[in-house]
Amino acid sequence: MPDALPILEMKHVSKRYGGIAALNEVDFVAYPGEIHAILGENGAGKSTLIKIAAGVTDPSEGELYVEGKRVDFRNPTEAMAAGVVCVFQELSLLPDLTVADNLSIVAPPMRAGLIDAGAQRERARRLLAEIGCDDIHPLELVRNLPLSRRQMVEIAKALAKRPKLLILDEATSALTAADVERVYTIIRRLRSEGVSILYVSHRMHEIAALADCATVFRNGRRIETFRIGERSMSAIVQMMIGREMTHHYPDKPPANPGAPVALSARNLSWGQQLRDISLDVRKGEIVGLGGLDGQGQRSLLFALFGVLKGVSGSVDVLGKPLRLSGPRSAMRAQLPIALIPEDRKTEGLMLPMNIRDNISLASLSKFQKGLRFDRNSEHTAVEKIIKGLNIKITELAAAVSTLSGGNQQKVVLAKWLMTHPGIILLNDPTRGIDVGTKQEVYRLLRDLADSGVAVLFYSTDYAELIGCCDRVLVMYDGRVTRELAGLELNERNIIETALNVNDKEQAA
Amino acid sequence: MNDPKLQAGTLPVLRFALDRSVLIAFGCIVLMLLGGALYSREFLSPEYLLQQLQISAFLGIIASGAMMVILIGHIDLSIPWTVTLGAMMATAVAGWYGEIGSAIAIPVGVLCGAFVGFLNGLGVAYLRLPSMIFTLGMNAVVQGLMVLHTGGFAPQDHATDAMHFLAVGRPIFGVPNALFIWIIVGGFITYLLTRTAFGRRVYAVGNRETAAYLSGVNTNAVIILCFVLSGAAAAFAGVLLAGYSTKAYQAMGDPYLLPAIAAVVLGGTNILGGRGNYLGTIAGVVLITLLQSILAVMQMPEAGRQIIYGVVILVMLLGYGRGEIDRK
Repeated sequence: MPDALPILEMKHVSKRYGGIAALNEVDFVAYPGEIHAILGENGAGKSTLIKIAAGVTDPSEGELYVEGKRVDFRNPTEAMAAGVVCVFQELSLLPDLTVADNLSIVAPPMRAGLIDAGAQRERARRLLAEIGCDDIHPLELVRNLPLSRRQMVEIAKALAKRPKLLILDEATSALTAADVERVYTIIRRLRSEGVSILYVSHRMHEIAALADCATVFRNGRRIETFRIGERSMSAIVQMMIGREMTHHYPDKPPANPGAPVALSARNLSWGQQLRDISLDVRKGEIVGLGGLDGQGQRSLLFALFGVLKGVSGSVDVLGKPLRLSGPRSAMRAQLPIALIPEDRKTEGLMLPMNIRDNISLASLSKFQKGLRFDRNSEHTAVEKIIKGLNIKITELAAAVSTLSGGNQQKVVLAKWLMTHPGIILLNDPTRGIDVGTKQEVYRLLRDLADSGVAVLFYSTDYAELIGCCDRVLVMYDGRVTRELAGLELNERNIIETALNVNDKEQAA
Repeated sequence: MNDPKLQAGTLPVLRFALDRSVLIAFGCIVLMLLGGALYSREFLSPEYLLQQLQISAFLGIIASGAMMVILIGHIDLSIPWTVTLGAMMATAVAGWYGEIGSAIAIPVGVLCGAFVGFLNGLGVAYLRLPSMIFTLGMNAVVQGLMVLHTGGFAPQDHATDAMHFLAVGRPIFGVPNALFIWIIVGGFITYLLTRTAFGRRVYAVGNRETAAYLSGVNTNAVIILCFVLSGAAAAFAGVLLAGYSTKAYQAMGDPYLLPAIAAVVLGGTNILGGRGNYLGTIAGVVLITLLQSILAVMQMPEAGRQIIYGVVILVMLLGYGRGEIDRK
């Protein structure tokens, strides 16, 4: 349909955060009556593209055109007025209001200066019927709806704005099979009405079944746009790979299958997030957790640390069962467990407190001798570990918030190394830190492993997993779907497994 | 940050480092005394100053406990009736059990307060109820119990000799005993905060409870212990106040809630928790006491006094509250 006037056109759009380009001179066109899939791995620039289109963020450079007219959205409301509507992954509904209230939250029907509840209810009924969800009562509180139904209300809310361009960001990930079918029907109907649909999904089979064309992004650049069917699955995966290996990784020692199993989990399940996960990590081994962001990796690490309530299954440390009752019990295991959390600002550090207080926090009881707190040995131990990790500080009394991201992360590592852990769980420890510190972290992990520590390491950076880990467990939808080791451990296999494109599908 | 070397003898960290708010508070104390001196030379006499410190002691002990709770980012609104509870239970026990009663009166009063604090701590730590609501409710419950207690059992309400002695006695160089007790309580709190692992954990919980929990800190125990200290301190102050006015009476703790919290906050402790030192609390307590005293001496009508008192506290908080609040 390339003859029609495009609904949305982006010319040379770039977006930079600090020095890093999330989008780099991207040209992108969406035509009416077309379902356009957006593909790319973590951090490829998909969400930035969507946010710019929906008016959530401004581009640093470049121009946007809607139906041929230059636009400059200052906020999502302006984008909506121009017909660009986005259904985000994060639900935007107010849980304590009714479905009808939510559907008319921006401009409720009014009568005599008051909200016309009857008209509002009628409107909700009509909108829900349109998406095939007549079974949702308009006066039900959103809080009481299951996740899948809430997502449907979210879609109804978007459709109520009569979009010309509808953006669906992982809109089906929370849906039940029946609701997915409904969404397909709606999308196809909208296409026949001339609406343009941008569809972000990691489910390759969905894209094959639904989309007319697709655009692949990588490292903030648009790689290629093609009609569905023109490229094989394997060619698409190839397009998504291709980052240069810029880091140097420490050498991996040969596998030692005779080493004792330090940490072993059997049939761990937690709600929808973890499904029947079993894994073993041996002493001296670095095991990676891969997959797309948000497939349960974070919950798995928390579950092993005993932080999640209601986990079923068992965890053994050196063959002895571990009580999953919280960090303190994990830290007292036969091999003490340490968890380097994902968000150092809220989970890892007390930013306004000084460096010494932060580092010694997890080992305070070691220094409390009866009524006396041994500040001298604390001081010595802290200084030693600061030297050992090469943390760059001016003085111990400085607040941690004054340090750079990389040094802050080292403070978190220092805190846990001081507890002499035998098992270390890391949740994306190199996110947002500089290249030099990353290398130091890789070296540190390998040194720890060589000294017999078992390391379980989640990272969103596939290159890092390949470079650092002896084995990688790839997760999809709360399950470990594949274990990669040796020559099998390459970016292509990780991405294929992460996207859940299996070999059979490829052959077909 | 360019210098990676650590100086060999890096200075030990001074928690008592004088920060801005502590300096302002002490500055205001000096200004008030000088201003008072212009009005009457009496304001600078040792007798007057000792008198003020003696009165400060009661507020100071209450504020010591309140500070522990504020440091973990919570608040204890059950202070008024915990003060009253301490006073009433101590005098009542003395009446019920004669000689032995007199001997155990003070510990019993303090323990009753500690128990109220323990319940507050349980509610906040395990039930995760907001401390503002829970302690307010607890205040009402204790009030009800005390009304029942005085109505139903007609207990003794006058203070024992020991209580009286501790509150008003001046055996050593004319320095009031109450002041010594405040020094002991203050020394104990300072020791806890700066010289124990517990103190470190208090600041950690106040700054970021999640991070403290994930670092293996027993956050619930820290929360409970802080509330216990607050309850015990309030009740102990109640015991002394009963000694000071020779008897325990209904609502005797009511005038202490705002001054105690204001003293802690004026002393630079962050109302959201995580930051503050005891020196600041001392300054805040003396400041509030002087303010009340000067307003009283100036023979202003009660209404005017209340207005000035409130306005001064608000203005001071505005003066240095800004940098402290934007943190979270």
